[in-house]
Amino acid sequence: MNGVELFLPIFVPLGASFFCFIFSREGSRGSGIVALAVSAVNLAVTVIGFPLRESIDLRWFEPGFAFALTATSFSAFLLVAVAGFGFLVILYSTLFLKGRRAAHRFFFYALFTLGLANGVLLADDLVLLLIFWEGLLLTTFGMIVTGRAAAFPTAIKSFVIVALTDLCLMAGIILAGTEAHTFRISAIHLPATGPAAVAFVLLLVGALGKAGSMPFHSWIPDAAVDAPLPFMAFLPASLEKLLGIYLLARITLDLFAVGVGSWLSTLMMIVGAATILLAVMMALAQKSYKRLLAYHAISQVGYMVLGIGTALPVGIVGGLFHMINHAIYKSGLFLTAGSVERQAGTTELGELGGLSRKMPITFALFVVVAASISGVPPLNGFFSKELVYEAALDRGWPFYAAALLGSLLTAASFLKLGHAVYLGPERPGRRLASDPPEADPAFVGGGGGAGGDARIRDADAPDRAADPAGAAACAPGASSGEAAGVREAPWQILVPIAVLAAACLLFGLANALPLRGLIEPILGHRLGGQSFAGLPRSLPLALATIGVLCVAVASHLYGVRRSGSGLGAADHLIHAPLLGRLYAVALSGRLDPYAIGRVAVRFLARLLRGVDRGVDWVYERLIVGAKSIVSGLISRAQSGSYQLYLVWMVVAAILLVLVVVR
Amino acid sequence: MAYAFVILPFFALILANLLPRRARAPVAFGLTFALFLAQAAAALVLLVSRAGGLAEAGAVAPSGSPGAGLEALLGFHLRLDLWSLVAILSAGVVGVGVLPVAWSTMRDEGRRLTFASLLLINLMGIDGVALVTDLFSLYVFIEIVSISTYVLIAMGGEAQAIEGGFKYLVLSGVATVLLLAGIALLTLTEGDLSFASLARAAGTGGGLGRLGVILFAAGLLTKGGFVPFHWWVPDAYTGAPTAVSALMAGIATKASGTFGIVRVVLALSQGGGAIREALIGVGILSIVVGAFAGLAQRDAKRMLAYSSVSQVGYIVAGLAAGNLLGLLGAALHFFSHAVCTSQLFGNVASLERATGSSGLDRSGGLGKGMPITAGTSVLASLSIAGLPPLSGFWSKLLVVIALWQTGHQGYAVTAVVASLLTLAYFIGWHRRTFWANADPAVRPAVEGGAAFLLPAIALSVVNVGIGLGSPFIIGLFVR
Repeated sequence: MNGVELFLPIFVPLGASFFCFIFSREGSRGSGIVALAVSAVNLAVTVIGFPLRESIDLRWFEPGFAFALTATSFSAFLLVAVAGFGFLVILYSTLFLKGRRAAHRFFFYALFTLGLANGVLLADDLVLLLIFWEGLLLTTFGMIVTGRAAAFPTAIKSFVIVALTDLCLMAGIILAGTEAHTFRISAIHLPATGPAAVAFVLLLVGALGKAGSMPFHSWIPDAAVDAPLPFMAFLPASLEKLLGIYLLARITLDLFAVGVGSWLSTLMMIVGAATILLAVMMALAQKSYKRLLAYHAISQVGYMVLGIGTALPVGIVGGLFHMINHAIYKSGLFLTAGSVERQAGTTELGELGGLSRKMPITFALFVVVAASISGVPPLNGFFSKELVYEAALDRGWPFYAAALLGSLLTAASFLKLGHAVYLGPERPGRRLASDPPEADPAFVGGGGGAGGDARIRDADAPDRAADPAGAAACAPGASSGEAAGVREAPWQILVPIAVLAAACLLFGLANALPLRGLIEPILGHRLGGQSFAGLPRSLPLALATIGVLCVAVASHLYGVRRSGSGLGAADHLIHAPLLGRLYAVALSGRLDPYAIGRVAVRFLARLLRGVDRGVDWVYERLIVGAKSIVSGLISRAQSGSYQLYLVWMVVAAILLVLVVVR
Repeated sequence: MAYAFVILPFFALILANLLPRRARAPVAFGLTFALFLAQAAAALVLLVSRAGGLAEAGAVAPSGSPGAGLEALLGFHLRLDLWSLVAILSAGVVGVGVLPVAWSTMRDEGRRLTFASLLLINLMGIDGVALVTDLFSLYVFIEIVSISTYVLIAMGGEAQAIEGGFKYLVLSGVATVLLLAGIALLTLTEGDLSFASLARAAGTGGGLGRLGVILFAAGLLTKGGFVPFHWWVPDAYTGAPTAVSALMAGIATKASGTFGIVRVVLALSQGGGAIREALIGVGILSIVVGAFAGLAQRDAKRMLAYSSVSQVGYIVAGLAAGNLLGLLGAALHFFSHAVCTSQLFGNVASLERATGSSGLDRSGGLGKGMPITAGTSVLASLSIAGLPPLSGFWSKLLVVIALWQTGHQGYAVTAVVASLLTLAYFIGWHRRTFWANADPAVRPAVEGGAAFLLPAIALSVVNVGIGLGSPFIIGLFVR
């Protein structure tokens, strides 16, 4: 049957994930190998199938719902991207997660996620899309739980937030389907007014919730700490952005007619600008490698939302370009964090320093991807941001200003991060610290280059013997033991990062490749023949960007001189007169919508409990009491006295007569 | 045809008592069983074959020109309509279900013969009540049912049985006086005693005519055990042998009281506003008081007695509501309650045989040793409480809808709430009797054999079958 190959990217990973689920045991490596092989197959399938533009439509249980799949240029592009990230992250995880708690379950979830993500991208029916989408909610939850033991509350938090946005998505799908009289994505094109505008907003919430934009972001920094690191590189950094922005672009471009004049466009731009600024300000103040990256993962979504929200071709192209760029450099950044965590035992900035001498390759790769996210030419981040700037300026200077300010703070925070971790005086991390490593069971066996802790080494020993590559990589650290300190990470760790860094360079220097080959076909005729590849069209904007970068460097140097360390490089911004108080509140977590919601829910719960007690009282005291009184009276009336019975009967008869005859 | 229902029991009675002494009891039982079975089958066939036209025909009073003189007063005509068939069918099913239990609970040949003979007389009365076309004949057959019932209650001979029978005799005597007074007044004002005279008396008969109708109705309410005329019911049902209780609750009390009310309401047709309202009030009062009193009982038979008081309330309330749904609901409830309540009394007889008591406090954990009794009891009582998809659910549903449609919303809500109370006392009974922990000192109970189990299973099948088939059955009558 034509189009049946569209099933492959969905059902091969799903089937393999069940294999992992059934046959793998704690500590076995089979599931990792299977996952790696399947993700490689998936990558091959999506690359080979890239030019195919097919669709398949199986009647489901009722007309109106159909198992309909369609490969468009948009989905084909994202399928390859998802498959690529999946392969790299799984390759990375096979070593990174070795010996960790629940690693086999991580691979099960990873494959399952791959299949579901492919399903979302291929679905041509809103209901089918929703089914795959909700499945992702479950795998997100499951993957966070495979992190350390304390990860469960974070998993709950992510579940609650994402589930709420998914509920909005569901409502939006129902509304949109009702308005359009079909759930077929390719057949819906609604004007964004009236009920359809409500549907759009609901769908927007669903898309933004998945993408992790504000105000649906607050689980991501927590997950960065608690979840296994490959999860962060896989879902929040890359895959969820791809899917969320995919849906955002689909609803903006295809499902609804959102024009430049529409208030919905303005709404999206405001959300985007606010996300850029607020999240990057939070990122600036973080003192943990992973949390800092997590806030950037939120902030960068703002650029995509802003770009697509402009409803201008240049902005949409910029937003989509930024989406793929962000996925590349952000997962790269998370992987460098994983490398540091694995080799140095911590990601707390206060305990790190001078790693560039011990881990030069990691450092070099970090410089590339960090420069990319900061928008340093000629890397990919620079070009996509320029497109977004151009569109934002076209729609109003405040948006442009917010985006530019965000860029400044991004650069400042990455200068701070790089300085604190890789430069400055050598601080060895936790491996050589005098106090023993954190005794968190989830981290047992976390690193190969172990130093002083015999317990960790013992736990790792069997695995290492069984895995020659790992053993070779880990041997120096293990043999030289107590004094050696931090080593460079092994190749399984470095290769994925290197691939991503290379992609940053490639997409920057040869930006025609992604723009002409992947992104511009998505918009097709809407572009009106123009192309955005090559150098930025507006020189003043590019110069302004470069100027902002210079300001960031200057500010960094000033901060370093003032505070005396890379970690404190941004303190003069954080403690600035007006901002200081705001930061104090924000960092305490009191502005977290989830925390506010929890307080509200707790209040509501107490209120409902009061009502519940009241109802309980009615049941347990009032009704039971009334029942025993009434039943007792009736029973007592049955006294056994004939006289009384006769009197009752006569009285009743007289009453009846009175009622009837009157 | 209709006369056969009345005459055959009479001949069977004579035949059984002419036989040699040793054969009398088995033959009497066999004949009675055969008659009940034949009656149920015949009624079922007639009901199904004439289903279409019956609902409408039954809703209006039987016509027929009143004759003159003594003939007008004492004419004896029988006629089959929907309600006759429902009553006859109910009687047949109840009899078939109760007789095996009666046979195995009565060990004495003499008692068996007495029981069978009285039952034949009772059956003749029931069928007569179901078929007559004038008030005086109705009164005569009601008395036939009542008198045989006094003896049936008291035939056990224990103090409790004598007390129950005597109480019924005394209070039923008052009812007889009320009935006769009503008949006298109606004769005075209307000159004849056809059912149509009731409608005339209620409509144009003035105060005296209406007084006659209401006195007649009060007598019927007493015979039928409606609140506040129900005082004899708990003692009589508790004192009587359990098989007799099953028979009374299932059909005898209904035939002597409730069915008379049915005739009155049908005769009133669309008229008789105040009387109709009063009857709905009595029905709802019975429902509520019966349910509350049932909650307080410590003896299964007494609880079932109050449950019967409560359930007949639904029949009268639905009927007096006056529309077609109410009529159908009342007919369905008449049958459904007959099936379920007689089955429950049969189950109680089985429990009594196993534990020696029908008290709720002295049994427990019987569900393990008596799974079939427990299971069928649960089915029947859930049906009475009105849980879907059992038969009682549909009948109560129709009654409640009918009450709502005719503007008695408060009554409808009350009926639903009372049905929750019904559920409450039945669940309490299940818990204490079947599921609570058994007293380890007591010998574990076992099932009582086919005589108890087969009727219980058969009646449960009818119950569930009616429940599942209800949409079809209702559709048969409502075209």
